[in-house]
Amino acid sequence: MRRRAALSALTGLSLSAALSCCGTERRAERKPGGKLPLVVKYQPLGESDAFQRLLRAFESDHPGVTVVAEALPSSSDVAHQFFLTALEGASQDFDIFVVDIVWVAEFARAGWLLDLSPLVAPDEVRRDFLPNIVDGVVLDGKTFAVPWYVDTGVLYYRTDLVTRAPATYDDLVRTARDITRGRRELGGFVWQGRQYEGLVCNVYEAIWGHGGDAHPGDGLLLQTDAARAALHYLQSLLASGVSPPSVTSAGEEETRRTFQAGRAVFMRNWPYAFAESERAGSPLRGKVGLAPLPTLRGEPGHGVLGGYQFGVNAHIAADKRELAVALVRHLTSREASIDLAAAYGRSPARGDAYRDPRLAKEAPLVAALAPAFERARPRPVTPYYVMLSDILQGEFSAAIAGIRRPEDALARAASLVHRLTGLG
Amino acid sequence: MMAPAVTVLAAVALYPTFASIALSFQRLILVFHEQRFVGAGNYAFLLRDARFWGALRNTVYFTLVSVAAELCIGLAIALLLHARPPARTLLRAAILVPWAVPTVVSARMWAWFFTREPSRLWGVVSLPDIAWLGTPGYAMHAAILVDVWKTTPFVALLLLAGLSGIPSSLYEAAVLDGASRVRTFFSVTLPLLRPILAVTALLRTLDAFRVFDVVYVLTEGGPANTTETLSIYAYKTMMRAGDFGYGSALSVMTFLCVLLLGAAYFVWMPREDR
Repeated sequence: MRRRAALSALTGLSLSAALSCCGTERRAERKPGGKLPLVVKYQPLGESDAFQRLLRAFESDHPGVTVVAEALPSSSDVAHQFFLTALEGASQDFDIFVVDIVWVAEFARAGWLLDLSPLVAPDEVRRDFLPNIVDGVVLDGKTFAVPWYVDTGVLYYRTDLVTRAPATYDDLVRTARDITRGRRELGGFVWQGRQYEGLVCNVYEAIWGHGGDAHPGDGLLLQTDAARAALHYLQSLLASGVSPPSVTSAGEEETRRTFQAGRAVFMRNWPYAFAESERAGSPLRGKVGLAPLPTLRGEPGHGVLGGYQFGVNAHIAADKRELAVALVRHLTSREASIDLAAAYGRSPARGDAYRDPRLAKEAPLVAALAPAFERARPRPVTPYYVMLSDILQGEFSAAIAGIRRPEDALARAASLVHRLTGLG
Repeated sequence: MMAPAVTVLAAVALYPTFASIALSFQRLILVFHEQRFVGAGNYAFLLRDARFWGALRNTVYFTLVSVAAELCIGLAIALLLHARPPARTLLRAAILVPWAVPTVVSARMWAWFFTREPSRLWGVVSLPDIAWLGTPGYAMHAAILVDVWKTTPFVALLLLAGLSGIPSSLYEAAVLDGASRVRTFFSVTLPLLRPILAVTALLRTLDAFRVFDVVYVLTEGGPANTTETLSIYAYKTMMRAGDFGYGSALSVMTFLCVLLLGAAYFVWMPREDR
């Protein structure tokens, strides 16, 4: 481990040194067949060939180009590590690639994302895409990535057990208690409490639900009343048994399986779980409802904004850039967004897609989620996000497990963040 | 004649080690092209870093408990196999199965078992309703259990080889002297097995101290960093957060600990046993 990391660090250094001293203009290489290859790195979408059809359509519009799609590991941590190694080594093996919303600032600062502003003006991005996602991809007035699809946290509830979704935290706790009383196999509310990125999402949603500010801005909301109240609330869910102990080791899939097996009344998850519960053979088919996350006072809650954008590799040959951007435009067009929504249930990042009647017809669930995406809020936008999240994960986990008081965990997190990044 | 060997050793072992040490004196965040010399700054922070001390404590605890359990259970299995039970060859092959499965695969399998609701092994053995991987205190022991399950066969096989090397004439002599089986074990078997026991303990200790994969797959160091070992902390700092300076300082500390353990072995072992 130690050696490999040291070696890769050194190769990274020597490579960047080599590149900066030569500084030669790179030219795109054609394959023997005369076709120019464009390589797309993307995360697996699901069982359908809709994505491949989009790529073939691009090829027929651009004779002389062949598009190769290469899937990344579906774990976003592993994908991040892949990009860290490949892009630090100035890899030219791929031309466009998906970027998680929380990586954009980091990759832009590192110089790995081509500034797309000349070809995709920031104003155009502001006009076409959901306003809250724009702040994550347009940084310092420059476009670094084009949003592809968005994701957000929603509340799932069992329509056969409760008549309506709870609007407040008290409501949720009371309903869960009433229904699960005397039923040992049925848990109340499941959410993602394992020490990983999903926990950070759940905590930020609770902070906003307790009245935390919309935009973390310079601070990170760590030493605030809302943050302390949020951690107290999550910890009390576990301590009082409203959430089963399995929540402390659960990620998205674990909670989805618990919920889908009929062992929970409520679940916080991303919209993907709905399609799973409606699948043929699922015991919950037709018994699941979606609602905004509850809050302290009962106004609809804000989910965390997630999702993927397309960026262009800054290291690729100059004469390939225009084509790469054309491909990004093609994949993020309104038509393509609706195709992907219909085929994979991915929610478009474009505002105009939600106004298109075709979306309501072909992907009614996605269309119905539009208000949730409009309310979704970004996690702190900072180049240090991954570093920050690593600290927050450990401290949030300590608070919900009850081994540190929320105020102590938050104070520790704040001092660590400060030392590593100067933020907070 | 030694030159090629020394050159290779220097290239593959010494160079990266010294490179790590050199990196540990810098603030180096590759992603931001941020690199400057900070002297002992990383180490000064490390001494005050509660997370480092926590990781060190976790690592030491993991190493002590898992190695002790592996040696005891491994020795018991080796003695059983050495007693020539029926189908000995088959048994010897069978106990190796956990060792043969790649760690990541077996850890994934255990993770699935620990997080099932309700957790049951073959539908028979039922675990108490505890979030094994999510409750501080339990998660570390779950990781130790998986490590012991996986590595005991390896220990047993090494000790079995040691047992086979003890001349049978000594056992015959013990029988003639009227020694009990317990007495024979403590006066013949254990003293003659000591060199191989010591080597096995050393190998396992050094391995366990650098543990990464079992724990990472099970918990990623959670909950609340209570299963975070030094290797996991260093890995997260370097590969996830991209902070190579501080990550290297953590690696160097791990390296120093392993070096100390190795040195302790050479100091404490009688010369003829090494």
